[in-house]
Amino acid sequence: MILANLYNKVLGFFRQTEKEAEESSKDTACNRLRVVLMQDRTNLTPELMERMRKELVELLSKYVEMDKEALELNLEQDGDQVALMLSIPVIRAKDEEEIKAALEAEDKEEKTSEEESDEKSENETEEENLDDDEDLDEDTEAEENLEDEPENSDKEKETGK
Amino acid sequence: MSGRVIVITSGKGGVGKTTTNANIGTALARAGKKVVMIDTDLGLRNLDLLLGLENRIVYTIVDVVEERCKLKQALVKDKKNPNLCLLAAAQTRDKSAVTEEQLKDICEKLQKDFDFILVDCPAGIEQGFQNAVAGASEAIVVTTPEMSAVRDADRIIGLLEAKEEIKSYKLLINRVRPNLIKSNDMMSVDDVVEILSADLIGIIPEDTGIITSTNKGEPIVNDEKSLAGKAYNNVARRIIGEDVPFLNLEEPQGVMAKIKKFFSGLKGGEK
Repeated sequence: MILANLYNKVLGFFRQTEKEAEESSKDTACNRLRVVLMQDRTNLTPELMERMRKELVELLSKYVEMDKEALELNLEQDGDQVALMLSIPVIRAKDEEEIKAALEAEDKEEKTSEEESDEKSENETEEENLDDDEDLDEDTEAEENLEDEPENSDKEKETGK
Repeated sequence: MSGRVIVITSGKGGVGKTTTNANIGTALARAGKKVVMIDTDLGLRNLDLLLGLENRIVYTIVDVVEERCKLKQALVKDKKNPNLCLLAAAQTRDKSAVTEEQLKDICEKLQKDFDFILVDCPAGIEQGFQNAVAGASEAIVVTTPEMSAVRDADRIIGLLEAKEEIKSYKLLINRVRPNLIKSNDMMSVDDVVEILSADLIGIIPEDTGIITSTNKGEPIVNDEKSLAGKAYNNVARRIIGEDVPFLNLEEPQGVMAKIKKFFSGLKGGEK
């Protein structure tokens, strides 16, 4: 028994080292290069990508209920073309009324923002509108999203390090 | 005659632009073509050293531009090959001493008398690069299978694609180490080609002979036994338009290597 244990342990050790060897330094170099070249070519920094991701979540949430954390946005190279790959895990399709409500809420927002004074930038007015319409379901979700996301992105960055 | 103007560039320094220039130029001249090399690395000239011509330079490109001599007077003939000429860079001036227009003008004049004008580009993407590229219609981008060199090559390719005058560019991968690639410790030629998605014109193996040939001021293409020399000769033949297969760097080359391989096989891995 002891011998068999030892045998398994030794075998396990070798298997482990084999697995570790699978991700060779060359593969690491290739993967790191691909990511960095995408950023170089598109001028999209990780911060901008995160912002784009957030905005897409906001936009798409109006039409489908989805796992907001799981939305993946990546730049990929296909031959000499760069493609933006978006993977959206849909939890549930929204019914017509929900979509209507969300869109109407948005239309209302636009109107009020148009009425706002011109001195303020668009961003500022949009944020204010979100604050005003907190009683609407969709917007509170979006609002939460805005508050939650930066924390998550920080976490991601930390784990990334 | 209207010669082809080819700029040899890389972005990153130290990947072998000047060595590539000296060897391709020499190989083309050995193939009977009339070749002139222009060193545009003002202030940091080195092409003269690699060709062993450092003591023969009287006038430089700056002297031509500032009309202290005629263009033909500034062309230094190679020691061995009368088909080969060098227009040296000035060592005491900086990149602003020659403009894009002036370089373009020099290239146009040289096109009448030469088959090939090879422009040695300085490292970087600043004015020196812009000057060197100005007169060229083709480019060879030199890189090595290292991350920083590949990244810089990608940047250079982006800049070349934006230039209307550059009709085509090709990739030359230098300092390839088959042993490291075999053990997955170095990006392979295929990896680099895929990442940069560019056409390949040459694969040059790492060769200690490059160091000794530089010491002597004698391009390695003159050494028939050298693998790197052979690879550079093949690049020159591809430039001329021949269809030359890429060297198989995995297999030991040359008769001696084959004999060694044969004996090591007989001994059954005694080493």
